[in-house]
Amino acid sequence: MNEQSTPPAEGHRSGRDRLAASTTVAEILETAITFEQTARDFYRQLTPKVSKRIRWLVEELAEEEQRHYELFSDLLERDDLDEQIEAVIDRPAADTRFSDCIHLPDLGEKPDDQTVLQYAMGREHAAMEQYRELAESTAAGPIRDLFRYLAAEETLHKAELEKLYYETIHSGGV
Amino acid sequence: MSVRDVLSPFAAWKHLFRDPVSIKDPFNREASERYRGFHQNDIEKCIGCGTCEAICQNGAIDMLPVSGVDGVQTRPGDSGLRPRIDYGRCCWCALCVDVCMTGSLSMSNAYKWVEADPDKFRYIPGVDKKHWDDYEHGYRRPEGHRLNAPERIEMPELEPGERIDSFAEIVGGYSVEQARLEADRCVTCGICVATCPTHMPIPEYISAVRDGDYEAGLKLLYDSNPFSQICGKICTRRCETTCAASHEGDPIAIRWLKRHITEQVPFERYRAIIGEPAAATGHSVAIVGAGPAGMTTAFDLARLGHKVHVYEAQSHAGGMTRYGIPEYRLPFDTIQREIDLIVSMGVEMHYNTRIGADISMAQLQQDHDAVVLSIGLWLGRSTRVPGSDHRNVYKAVDLLRRIRDGEQLQAPKSMVVIGGGNVAMDIARSMARLQQQQHGQIAITLTALEDKSHFLADPVEIKESIEEQVTILDSRGPQECMVDDQDNLLGLRTWRVHSIFDENGRFAPSYDDGDEMVHEGEWVVEAIGQMSDVAILGDELTEKLDWNRGRIQVDEDGRTSESWLWSAGDMVRGPDVVHAVADGHRTARSIHAHLSALDKQENA
Repeated sequence: MNEQSTPPAEGHRSGRDRLAASTTVAEILETAITFEQTARDFYRQLTPKVSKRIRWLVEELAEEEQRHYELFSDLLERDDLDEQIEAVIDRPAADTRFSDCIHLPDLGEKPDDQTVLQYAMGREHAAMEQYRELAESTAAGPIRDLFRYLAAEETLHKAELEKLYYETIHSGGV
Repeated sequence: MSVRDVLSPFAAWKHLFRDPVSIKDPFNREASERYRGFHQNDIEKCIGCGTCEAICQNGAIDMLPVSGVDGVQTRPGDSGLRPRIDYGRCCWCALCVDVCMTGSLSMSNAYKWVEADPDKFRYIPGVDKKHWDDYEHGYRRPEGHRLNAPERIEMPELEPGERIDSFAEIVGGYSVEQARLEADRCVTCGICVATCPTHMPIPEYISAVRDGDYEAGLKLLYDSNPFSQICGKICTRRCETTCAASHEGDPIAIRWLKRHITEQVPFERYRAIIGEPAAATGHSVAIVGAGPAGMTTAFDLARLGHKVHVYEAQSHAGGMTRYGIPEYRLPFDTIQREIDLIVSMGVEMHYNTRIGADISMAQLQQDHDAVVLSIGLWLGRSTRVPGSDHRNVYKAVDLLRRIRDGEQLQAPKSMVVIGGGNVAMDIARSMARLQQQQHGQIAITLTALEDKSHFLADPVEIKESIEEQVTILDSRGPQECMVDDQDNLLGLRTWRVHSIFDENGRFAPSYDDGDEMVHEGEWVVEAIGQMSDVAILGDELTEKLDWNRGRIQVDEDGRTSESWLWSAGDMVRGPDVVHAVADGHRTARSIHAHLSALDKQENA
């Protein structure tokens, strides 16, 4: 997957450094929440710029990031955080890898639906990889579990986007 | 008195200890195993075709609606009716069992039924529960005993060796004798009518074939489908998927019988049979796009007396039927006859006229009482895998258009196609013909993400592609169009796909990257999907319109959120000729109602 320069968020070197430097579960979750917030705001800003024909797609992407934002924010407030994380990492999501070979595009001025979807899948892929790497390089304990949890969430989101990509782009011809 | 007279009474006493010949309790005697008693019906198997009702010589069977009764659910290809037997009329001849198209109807060997109320002797087997529902014995249609022929009459076709080096039409068409034999297989149940998107009167036109009344058949065809010649050759024939005959044999060749009718009537007679359009209403309608949806709308509106202008970007009408379907499936003259007929109704064609460049949507709105947008799906989708932007990676729809436009393409010696739909088969088979003509050999590999059971292509297309030496590799996920250091395209790299859908039928592929293949090809052709070129609408109209997940939002009659604009065909319903025809009818009805309402307002 090619490197994408904007916007700064999960999956990027600066984000990874920030996560790696975090020493508590709360700090990591707070960082993850800011990533989701950044992504949501990015899609919200993109919405009026794209053709009305594909605005539904960008709106759905913003809603999905907002859903993740709320999920992580709720998690931060919970007393049973450990149990919640354990429940998710016990059911790891499979990475379908469908979009791994697809270019991460430059969105440009007037992106079409395929470009927006490619871009969104690329972001989720980078985030998933980042959390996985962090989990692997972290000693066993609650912080590694949290990284594994975040990786699982991003993998699920990526798989959902791949479904949408297939249904939108691969109609099989006439 | 003789001695014999004295002894005779005593002789009778000798039978006192013999078993009786008569049955002591005849009311509890079991009938023979193949006795024809009261009916049973496997309610899941029955499709409510009504063939039992039609054959009953005593009028003892009526078909009644049962959907929702006692948990009975109907499904596609099921009329929702079930036979009710009247035992005041039934003579237990079992013709209904012998003719049953699904084998659902049988007779138990139960023969006793006592009721005080004579109306009780009418019941719906399988729905009204009876104690003999589970009887094992009774009359079943004997194995191999059929009242109608289970196998369809084969359509004469060119053999692969005869057809591979030319674009000559493959299918020959039925002779009159063949068509009548095939028509004789139809039981005229009419279940197919509900499945046909444009609800063609199929049993009636098949009856016309049987009767040899082809002009009546042609009238029936064109009253419901102005693309009958085209649909007689390339229709996706949803009707045949629900044909009652398909349950225990081949479905009736409905498409080929439609084709047969159109071939039996001289084209010069078509216009007179279809009839003259109504008197001019003074209303004018603009249609953008001369494909099946646009031209069906034009045909219907012109017959109703409205002035119709069709604006077409290409030099000929027909849309994807002309520029997307190869000539070996659909010859040019078939399309042209269809278009000529529609134009003869007074439709005015404006060829080589592109919306946005030659005329604007705003101008059409200003000049006409209604506007229809039916521009199809002309833009090919790309996989956008690495290397897919190479100059020798093409979109299938673009290549098909160039071939159909008469361009002499120089075929590559080897080629890879990506896709499992009809477009993928069309381009593979077209290029195979060009390769055979130019190089004397065929080297085409068709790869698809889906396994063969999930291919969208017609099974006949897949079979014929294989016959024409196209190598089909299913379950291969494209990873890269491979390019060497000199920027030459080498082919396509793929991974094996273990499975493609999850248990809910949604996309969730699983790859085996250890099973990697490189398919050699000087060209790679992508045929994975298509989209509509809605950029011609311009930003202002795009912003005004309501959209539904990338498609123009229309109501059930095809009207958009702008009151003057309708949209029809592939661009709103997805790709299929007969669906586009149905859409054209709906749109024309809606516009006619709108124009009639305008007239009433003016006259009020």
